[in-house]
Amino acid sequence: MNCDKILSLFRSELITVNVGPKLFAEALEKQGYQTVQVDWKPVAGGDREMQEILAVLGGLD
Amino acid sequence: MMTIEQQVNAANDRVMEILLKGRPVWIDVRPALEVIPGMTRTRILVPGPPLPVERLTTPIRTAVCGAAVHEKLATTSEEAWQMVLRGEITVEPAQDHQCGCAASMVVSASMPVMIAQDRVFGGRGYAPIHPGPNPKCLRWGFYDEDVERDLCWFRDHYGPALGRAVRAAGGIDLVTVLAKTAGMGDENHNRQPAASMYLALQVIPWMLDQEDSERDAMIRHFAANDRFFLHPMMAGVESLTATMKQVPLSTVLAGMGGNGVEFGIQLAGTGNRWYTAPAPVIKGTFLNPSYTEADLLGYLGDSCVTEVYGLGGMSAIAGPAYMRMTGSNIAEARDRTEKARAVSLGEHTFAPIPWDDFRGFPVGLDARKVVGYNILPISHGGSALKRGGQGGAGAAELPMECFKDALRGIYREALRLTPARM
Repeated sequence: MNCDKILSLFRSELITVNVGPKLFAEALEKQGYQTVQVDWKPVAGGDREMQEILAVLGGLD
Repeated sequence: MMTIEQQVNAANDRVMEILLKGRPVWIDVRPALEVIPGMTRTRILVPGPPLPVERLTTPIRTAVCGAAVHEKLATTSEEAWQMVLRGEITVEPAQDHQCGCAASMVVSASMPVMIAQDRVFGGRGYAPIHPGPNPKCLRWGFYDEDVERDLCWFRDHYGPALGRAVRAAGGIDLVTVLAKTAGMGDENHNRQPAASMYLALQVIPWMLDQEDSERDAMIRHFAANDRFFLHPMMAGVESLTATMKQVPLSTVLAGMGGNGVEFGIQLAGTGNRWYTAPAPVIKGTFLNPSYTEADLLGYLGDSCVTEVYGLGGMSAIAGPAYMRMTGSNIAEARDRTEKARAVSLGEHTFAPIPWDDFRGFPVGLDARKVVGYNILPISHGGSALKRGGQGGAGAAELPMECFKDALRGIYREALRLTPARM
């Protein structure tokens, strides 16, 4: 099995994709690493009732 | 068989067709009793969602009682109030009758109202005539001999004259006014000098040859009112929502307004049903430096129905001067418009905003996106003082609870219409 691609990935510069609180990305940035913050929030701000209604009504990309 | 989501999407497509292709035209001015559906001699229409009469705010109570005296239903405001409490005079939300009442304005039977007709889908909407720059008026919750004289002048001269002029002109196409004045700095809820002036150019020639002892005074009054366009535009939006509200299951915003205590919205899919929450306070600038937030009522008036059509805060970037006047800036204007775009289903093409890369104003606010993305649309507005009068101007976030309750309403309606699928 050729593992060159995976090994080259580990040898390359680390860029972290962060999903969730930006705090984690900021901690890595302070240590000199590059990060990419994904703009993601839970549907309906985490309101479970609304999430269930929206699962039926749809409309979100 | 379509899923509920497919049914909602199809309903919203239909409503977007009405919003994007509808053509509201100001066609006439007539007494409210003659034209507004469900209007009676003892009924007074008020802004915002329904409120028990005991909770009506001071300016609305003053305007309701003033209108009752104006109609000769009572001889004094106190007598009128007792009739309201006994139910002999009924008070109903104007938007339930396809009418919009800005600020503290109310509509009674003999008052002249502007009629707009959507020439594509056929709906009709109504709004009273803007009273002009004099702050002492029914529209801001005042009533005395001077206001009564003005109301009579509107009823006996100004209203009929405007009606004759508009009929002679063959109607004033409101979309054309918006298109012609695109890029002139109006956001068309709280700032509309360009639209009002362009409208005056269309109407005044038809007033010049009228036989009326008050002709010159009427033209002077009309020409001096740079906010005139707001009210025909409100009637125009109501002419569209009249058709939108006939489309079951649509989650698109079809009405909104405040009564000073509660703010309410209506979705096309449930017609005139209101979804309410405590009214937000409009924050911005005060007209008098001695005013404080404690002097203000919550959101009051139906003028925000223009935002259903994508005007005002929805397209804040179109009106930089209003942002400046209310202590805000271009970045905030862009943010308001982008927020609206994120939760809207379409964009108008007839009035591109030059400094926004000629994009149109967003339209068709989808309650699913507001709740799902947790993005609150921002409406512009003038704030009302608790004692009556205008306190200031600015903006307010629309309450999320209205939109959540509205989704519950559509969800229940969807289950009722398609029980077999659940």
